[in-house]
Amino acid sequence: MKFEDETQNLKLRVGVIHGLVFAILVVLGARLYFLQVVNGDYYSERAENQRVRLLRIPAPRGAIFARDGKTILVDSRSTYNIILAREDMKGKDWGELVGPLSVGLGVDPELLRERLEEMARQPAFEEATIKEGADRADLAWVEAHMLEFPMLLVREQPQRRYPENGVLAHVLGYVGEISSQQLKQPKFKDYTENPYYPGAIIGQEGLESTYDRYLRGKDGYRKVEVDSRGRIQRELETVAPQPGQDLVTSIDLDMQLAAEEQLRNSPNKRGVIVSMDPRNGEILAMASYPTFDPNLFSQRIGTPEGRKEANTLLRDPLTPLFNRAIRGRYPPGSTWKIPMAVSGLMQGAITIQKSNLVCGGGIQIGNKFTRCMGHHGSPPLRTAIKHSCDGYFYRLGLKMGLEGIMQMVDDFDLNKRTGVDLPHELVSWTPSREFKARFNPRAPEWKDIDTVYASFGQVYDFVTPLAMLRAQVAIANGGRLYVPHLLKEARPVPEIGPFAARPKQTFDRPDPKLIPIPAEQHDVVVEGMWAVVNEPGGTGGAARIEGFDVAGKTGTAQVVGLGKDVGKNKDHSWFVAYGPARDPEIASIALIENVGFGGKFAAPATHKVFDAYLAKAHPDLAPAPEAAEAAKQRALSTGNHQ
Amino acid sequence: MAAIIESRKFRDFDWLLTLLAVAIASFGTWMILHAQPEASYWRKQLLGIGISLVVMLAVAFTDYRKLVNIAPLFYAFGLFLLVIVLIPGIGLKINGQRCWIGVPGLGQFQPSEFMKIPTVLMLARYFGRPRQSVLTFREMLMGGVILAVPVGLIMLEPDAGQALTYFPLLAVVLFLSAIRMWLVVAALVLMTVAVPAAWVVGTQTGLIKPYQQERINVILDPENADRRGFGYHTWQSMVTVGKGRITGSATKGDASQSKLKFLPEPQTDFIFAVAAENTGFVGCVLLLIAYSVLLTKLIHGARRAPDRTGMLVIMAIVGGLAFQIFINVGMALGLLPVIGVPLPLMSAGISALLTTFVAIGFAISIRLRRFVN
Repeated sequence: MKFEDETQNLKLRVGVIHGLVFAILVVLGARLYFLQVVNGDYYSERAENQRVRLLRIPAPRGAIFARDGKTILVDSRSTYNIILAREDMKGKDWGELVGPLSVGLGVDPELLRERLEEMARQPAFEEATIKEGADRADLAWVEAHMLEFPMLLVREQPQRRYPENGVLAHVLGYVGEISSQQLKQPKFKDYTENPYYPGAIIGQEGLESTYDRYLRGKDGYRKVEVDSRGRIQRELETVAPQPGQDLVTSIDLDMQLAAEEQLRNSPNKRGVIVSMDPRNGEILAMASYPTFDPNLFSQRIGTPEGRKEANTLLRDPLTPLFNRAIRGRYPPGSTWKIPMAVSGLMQGAITIQKSNLVCGGGIQIGNKFTRCMGHHGSPPLRTAIKHSCDGYFYRLGLKMGLEGIMQMVDDFDLNKRTGVDLPHELVSWTPSREFKARFNPRAPEWKDIDTVYASFGQVYDFVTPLAMLRAQVAIANGGRLYVPHLLKEARPVPEIGPFAARPKQTFDRPDPKLIPIPAEQHDVVVEGMWAVVNEPGGTGGAARIEGFDVAGKTGTAQVVGLGKDVGKNKDHSWFVAYGPARDPEIASIALIENVGFGGKFAAPATHKVFDAYLAKAHPDLAPAPEAAEAAKQRALSTGNHQ
Repeated sequence: MAAIIESRKFRDFDWLLTLLAVAIASFGTWMILHAQPEASYWRKQLLGIGISLVVMLAVAFTDYRKLVNIAPLFYAFGLFLLVIVLIPGIGLKINGQRCWIGVPGLGQFQPSEFMKIPTVLMLARYFGRPRQSVLTFREMLMGGVILAVPVGLIMLEPDAGQALTYFPLLAVVLFLSAIRMWLVVAALVLMTVAVPAAWVVGTQTGLIKPYQQERINVILDPENADRRGFGYHTWQSMVTVGKGRITGSATKGDASQSKLKFLPEPQTDFIFAVAAENTGFVGCVLLLIAYSVLLTKLIHGARRAPDRTGMLVIMAIVGGLAFQIFINVGMALGLLPVIGVPLPLMSAGISALLTTFVAIGFAISIRLRRFVN
């Protein structure tokens, strides 16, 4: 120090301050070292994470084709929604928009007001949709009024388009947003190859659901840089999406439309028709009526009206959402007699040489007489099938016994799901002691009369039409029990960017279960079924086609006791058929609900479906090919525009 | 004669100190450009450096003792400005604080920055007399009053951060004016006990509001603090600093935290984070070394000051600068809660820049007179 001042160690005190200054700087340096050198990577990553956003580019979902591989059943298209950017709506009166927007965009003002009020209550990040499926004029209007209504935005959205009029609705199913419950299920949660995420559109029903993994493409993304308020500053990278695989189904659209037309024209407009290729289990047509419009779920479900519509469908006592082919359990009536006949022979209850059993116009068990519809004397099997003699099968059932009937059920897998590639298939109910105990707890014992009932397709027999068709097909083709299926192939998709090529896929269970039906026994039963259709006095004459040997069996299933079978409780009308009888290439089952005798309703319907088949497969045999074509035009004409 | 004096002055002029200050300020301007490339802050800052250099030279070549003698005038004028800044219409209210005076055509200035100089001069004037005995209570009280008046006015703005930077000025002056050592120790002990105690009592009784707690929590545990709320500034600053890693990202071309507006106030309060992001550990350590050399040079000058007054002026300046560096950088590094204190020579703002250069001008003036009787 220049001046004389040594009070209280001034030099030392200056030194202390100097040391303190150094200490501060060292602390700061150490902290810098910690942040930048030790944890630099960590913070860089954090900065990167908040700076970079991945914006999903939804992959187009695969289309679904008919069996020709050309006819489009389902595809996706771009639709445009007009939405309200809520950021620009802060502090503004929503109500003021109703007038100009309802006029400009042609939206019902009441509806718009309702929507805006609902939106105003929702959290800010939700978008307010003003109009779905906007057309060109709407988009032009929005553009023209950009200055006036800067809050209006147009958003492109891929939308699934299904045939109109509910054609094939139960088979195709529909897509919808994945639910939070679904996201928690292992099926979705653990699928890492193409992860599901909240808001993802997935198949919710039908083939859309079963083959969701084929149909779903892999989403691409835009990698963008955003600022602290999430506004995009620049594009860093774009990865194009890989489209999903197209499905080629086994559906023959002509047959499908013919089948649906038959159901639509039936007295109650309720029923099922399924057609199958007996040579491989491919389903050619699967119609269930009443039907519904899948576009409701893929397009309109987000709107209040759409939800109302969906609720109505869900509560409809006629269950239009139900695929009757796999979820309807019906008493099979006399169609049940065909597997009974085959098993009766296989189990030795009857033989080819001596297949006669007494009809007796019915059977007396204890104090109860169960009658046959006629008096057939003591017919052989062929005749019993031809005339659908109940008395014959009562006695065959008694000879086979419950165990024999259960063996038959087992052989034809009637107590199992068919394994069809559709979701929610139900198992048929078949006779057993347990079933009776549950069904009738007051008299749980299985009695002979129960065996009688079980032997002609009543009381203890409730089968799904598909399970019954499959069993009949196995009889037609000599014992090959196929897994019915709709998938012919999922087409391959080439490698795109980071996404590996996806190979072609076919149905994964093509091999049938073999039932060892001796050929001569098979022949007798086929003979009987041929006679049903082709001989005078057969019950299924309405299905006869000149030049095409149709074999079939009618069924008339009681819904309620005799005497009450009128009005809406009328019998179900069944018909199961295949042709040609000796070398079947097409099989079909028809069930028309609550209309009465099988030969009168279901058999002609089957005839029409076969006509549609023949028009393509054997044009020489088909009556009028224009008819099927016209039906197809009618059904799809409304579906191809909009 | 004049020529001789001039040449001696020229020779004794503290070139290194000036150069360091200009270098840091230039580096700061470069960083301001990085922080706000589209705004004109960096150009204003360049202008500020020019003005500051002129004023600094004027101060440096004026005898500091003359200035200390008329310190009460400066002090009174400073207080006058601090009063009128509070008057709506004269003082501009920005972010709820009325601490700016607008000058038509020149922009705006911040009296609370300039007031540091008169306060230092007043303190040095009062405590600068030759001293043979320990500090008396009366003297301490006087020092407290000199400080309390401007601090009180600044608190009315209110600008707690700026007010805080006045305390080291008094602390250093008292410390170097033979305050009894036991008082220093007692004050330190009291602080280390009182701060945690106040924290506990404050959080228990609710006197420390939740948002204030959050500001502290974010320092204690930045990972778990509310990064979107009150922890946002601190967290973003730490990310920005850490992201710079060793050599920084200035040359790598990726968008910076400040450009994307993740880092708030990048050109002023968080300029250090910008420097850290752009020049990395290397740049920051060089900056800290530059500060260290600058402060060491100042302390060196204080040791050779011709009188107590000069020594006190420089050391108070050192205390003020070191404290501001510590608060500002500590805040940027997530060591301290967010307090709006500019980083000397770096932060954008002509008031702060000019004040620092004036302070350095005093140091040079004192050094120039070390051989004068």
